[in-house]
Amino acid sequence: MVGKNCFAIASDRRLGVQLQTIATDFQRISKIHDRVFLGLSGLGTDAQTLYQRLVFRHKLYQLREERDMKPETFANLVSALLYEKRFGPYFCQPVIAGLGDEDKPFICTMDSIGAKELAKDFVVAGTASEFLYGACESMFKEDMEPEELFETVSQALLSSVDRDCLSGWGGHVYVVTPTEVKERILKGRMD
Amino acid sequence: MKLDTTGMESAAPVWGSHNELVDEFSAAPSFELPNTTDFDGFQKEAIQMVKPAKGTTTLAFIFKEGVMVAADSRASMGGYISSQSVKKIIEINPYMLGTMAGGAADCQFWHRNLGTKCRLHELANKRRISVTGASKLFANILYSYRGIGLSVGTMIAGWDETGPGLYYVDNEGGRLKGMRFSVGSGSPYAYGVLDNGYRYDMSVEEAAELARRAIYHATFRDGASGGVASVYYVGPNGWKKLSGDDVGELHYRYYPVMPSTVEQEMVEVTGA
Repeated sequence: MVGKNCFAIASDRRLGVQLQTIATDFQRISKIHDRVFLGLSGLGTDAQTLYQRLVFRHKLYQLREERDMKPETFANLVSALLYEKRFGPYFCQPVIAGLGDEDKPFICTMDSIGAKELAKDFVVAGTASEFLYGACESMFKEDMEPEELFETVSQALLSSVDRDCLSGWGGHVYVVTPTEVKERILKGRMD
Repeated sequence: MKLDTTGMESAAPVWGSHNELVDEFSAAPSFELPNTTDFDGFQKEAIQMVKPAKGTTTLAFIFKEGVMVAADSRASMGGYISSQSVKKIIEINPYMLGTMAGGAADCQFWHRNLGTKCRLHELANKRRISVTGASKLFANILYSYRGIGLSVGTMIAGWDETGPGLYYVDNEGGRLKGMRFSVGSGSPYAYGVLDNGYRYDMSVEEAAELARRAIYHATFRDGASGGVASVYYVGPNGWKKLSGDDVGELHYRYYPVMPSTVEQEMVEVTGA
């Protein structure tokens, strides 16, 4: 979700196999560099592998260009990598968030074969995506400060995952401003 | 100069070419498909096989003081949670309880129907029906509807002249007498806690705590169970609801968040 010169990216913490919960501390959001974060929902193994491939490509980029990737460029990279596997796809839906030029927040999501969806306000992905759309739509306001953004994102996440059997068991929120990254873990319903 | 393309190799194998350069990269991993005429139908069947039938957790056990009955309160439709406050313990009459697992409508209707038949028995025979009799009535009704598609996995718990009674009855027409049962998709997790902590000589408080813990652990692991853990006790004077604790709060009561030592601390960056 986008705020005033900042953004927040959040995920739940459950790793499960259909109805059985395997872990309640699964890391779904990863940092690509200080100003670009990637969240991967869907199949756990594909999320990990895709993340490793993307980190590899970004490091190559850093060596060649001697600078970090812009979030728009990174989104293009993810989209291309996903489409490469068009007929045997990764079962992941990525959510990309970053601060671009002049600290302007950039967010986008994709389906599992790389169709980009850019948005100005918020993007969602996962089994509880429909509930998240409803919650974000009603709670979102333009130009929120980082603290208010954190509250909004946390409430939207927790209330949405409480309607989904397959999501929840806590929450993980990153609020990123040009100067710092604040990582917080939410206490949620553990059922 | 040969460009290093290992980071950009594509998954699609290059057909028909025996180019030495490309051969090393082009061996794409593949797996065997099953030998069926209808692959889509086969996939659907496979998914149905692993789909759990009854998304809930209920349990009941007999101990020295009577029968303890407990259940969660979540109703789920596939992945969607339709309600967190469903009454899964049905009061058939003041000294008999039934638990609900499977189709909510099926369980509610047939339990009420059973209550009616029990009352009719009382009026006709001038004495209360036994738990054995009630469960037999229920099992016979379900057997006659066998194969139609009812989904009922219930436990009939009560106290009659012979003492505490507990029967498991399901939509296949099966009826089992026992001391400990758990029904639903969360039952394996509940059994783990229940079987470990069970003793015949427990007080009512100990038994209630065991039942509550078992339901809590099932709601933690099973996605289709959650909401409120209700615990009922059936004794010589009939049933009594002992507690209804929200499982979200139970978690932090059993496993409170400990303040951990700070490994890394973030400090405000000034003037950036």
